[in-house]
Amino acid sequence: MRVAVLSFAHVHAATYIGLLRERDGIELITADPDAPPGDPTRGRQLAQSLGAAYADTWDEVFALRPDAVVVTSENARHRHLVERAAATGAHVLCEKPLATTEADARVMIDACERAGVGLMTAYPVRFSPAFTALRRALADGSLGGLISVHGANNGSNPARSHPWFADPELAGGGALADHTVHIADLVDALLDGEQAAEVYAQANSILADDGPAPDVETAALVTVRYPSGLVAAVDASWSHPPDHPTWGGLAMTCVGEKAIVEFDAFPPLLGGFDSATGRDRWEAGGTDLDAAMLEEFLDTVRTGRRPSPDGETGLRTLRIVLAAYESLRTGQPVALPDALGTTGG
Amino acid sequence: MAELEVALIGAGGIARTHLPAWVALGARVRLYAPDGRAPELAREFGATSVGSLREAIAGSAVVDVCTPTDTHREITLAAVAAGAHVLCEKPLALSADEAGEMADAAQEAGVRLYPGHVVRFFPAYARLRDLVAGGGLGRVAVARFTRTGRYPTWSGWFADPVRSGGILTDQMIHDFDIARWLFGEVVRVHARHQGHLTAPAPEGAVATGTAVLTHAGGAITQVVGVWGPPATPFRTTFHVSGTGGTVQHDSQAHLDLRITGAVSGSPADGIPGGDFGESPYCTQIREFAEAFAGGPEPRVSGQDGVAAVRIAEAAAQSARTGRTVELAPLTPQPTTVPTGGIDQ
Repeated sequence: MRVAVLSFAHVHAATYIGLLRERDGIELITADPDAPPGDPTRGRQLAQSLGAAYADTWDEVFALRPDAVVVTSENARHRHLVERAAATGAHVLCEKPLATTEADARVMIDACERAGVGLMTAYPVRFSPAFTALRRALADGSLGGLISVHGANNGSNPARSHPWFADPELAGGGALADHTVHIADLVDALLDGEQAAEVYAQANSILADDGPAPDVETAALVTVRYPSGLVAAVDASWSHPPDHPTWGGLAMTCVGEKAIVEFDAFPPLLGGFDSATGRDRWEAGGTDLDAAMLEEFLDTVRTGRRPSPDGETGLRTLRIVLAAYESLRTGQPVALPDALGTTGG
Repeated sequence: MAELEVALIGAGGIARTHLPAWVALGARVRLYAPDGRAPELAREFGATSVGSLREAIAGSAVVDVCTPTDTHREITLAAVAAGAHVLCEKPLALSADEAGEMADAAQEAGVRLYPGHVVRFFPAYARLRDLVAGGGLGRVAVARFTRTGRYPTWSGWFADPVRSGGILTDQMIHDFDIARWLFGEVVRVHARHQGHLTAPAPEGAVATGTAVLTHAGGAITQVVGVWGPPATPFRTTFHVSGTGGTVQHDSQAHLDLRITGAVSGSPADGIPGGDFGESPYCTQIREFAEAFAGGPEPRVSGQDGVAAVRIAEAAAQSARTGRTVELAPLTPQPTTVPTGGIDQ
């Protein structure tokens, strides 16, 4: 199977390259033609350092007719690559958020639908075995009905290493866009794709690394209400200081009628103190969620079955983000235009 | 503190935490409870039980109001009229107007009114306040607080929004007060509540509330309250992020003493007793008692109690209407809460 990783703009590109390179039966090709020239963290230089084959242009990489592509460009630049991949007949795994506008997401979904290729949104956290156990507990009734969810997806500001994450045009927003979607996806999974009814958000850009205030929010609190009555309260802040021992974390508490369940997607395996860095030691535990997600994607490419989370999941969660930004503008909760559970299109 | 005459009104869960604190301070306590439970509680702690509110208040220097919230105003006003200082359990009242009336009455009568926002006296929260006030977190950007315990089905009035205000007012007011204490005045409130929100609440009922507070200085706070299933242990957490780093706390994470293997249902499953230092209830009452005796002002004022009710009332209004509630600046006097008309 020929798999192409398209663009190294996203921090996860190197992760996917590392995972795909290790696998048997995968012919990996990469391309990053939009990289700034001379940037050693991008383009051919990065591909070489990772030992990955590299194509110099989009034309060249698509001419190789990949069976599948992983789109890791800037959020606003997902669309043109997804459309091109669909036109080439390649299945798509696209970084989150799926797009920065509903129109772009819709075009991407429709293009893949028409071409008969799968479109998967890169939400790795739902592939945690612990989350699978949580879904099962909810499905078999042992939690009772879900009443509310509260969770935090906090992390380092990715713009420290990849400035476009703080570019409102390219990223579609800041911490709110970057982090709300992960917990939104988990709730989407728990509620079998129920479209949110209403979103409220507050945000600020106080966390600025001693520099000028960034163009996007670095802290955000989002409250999402679903038609079934469930309310999800999310802290989506980039609130890990630069020298924090972990890049990020995601934890979520589900309050059910019969039990309360706490889920930690990235629990530490070991703690302690590291004299070399003078910081807390943090040895990550748990499953490699990116690997589990890629496994699912590659399996859908092989079998032709529909991927999950799909493009519609990506769109439903994007709608929450877009409504949250509207809420920031109005200071009021914002009803989603499509609040009755139908996904339109 | 010997010979301090205290009238303790009520004989429920909070009275049970206040009474030993007064006794430890050497106060003479007269106990009255409308529900007839005073004699038993008085016997347990060597206090005196009396047969009426009037009898309890007469001659008392301090009246400690530990009754359901909807009775706070009447008892407080009676105490103030009799010239007594008042410690009133939180929330001061169900509305900011009522709470303000109580604070005004105390001021006019020249007596002190302090609200029982005891969380300010819990060591983790007091230390958090020191950290924030001392600049240890730099400029605070975002905070979240959770408060989780079993649904208070042991006393029927908690579940009744007309008597307690429900989870947003009765339980989450603790963290509303803490957030305002730490990060300054609240100018915008949005809240939701869900689950079992009416009386009677059967055993096994569950309710939750979520609120987002926007502070005048720009910080934002998320407050989550859970009245959980019957076996839910009491637990509070916070996480605060600022330009100087983060701080977090989980009351269940690092216990001085952890007991396992015993049959569940042992004592102290309900209201937390703090750690092995002084009980926060005791710290609170000692600090109030010193202020009543002319000592320094305690860490919480009657106006703080009014402000906390104002936030809780805004949260309840937001949950009811589904809209954000804007709060006008507090000075000079609390005003009624305007809605809508948002202008960022």
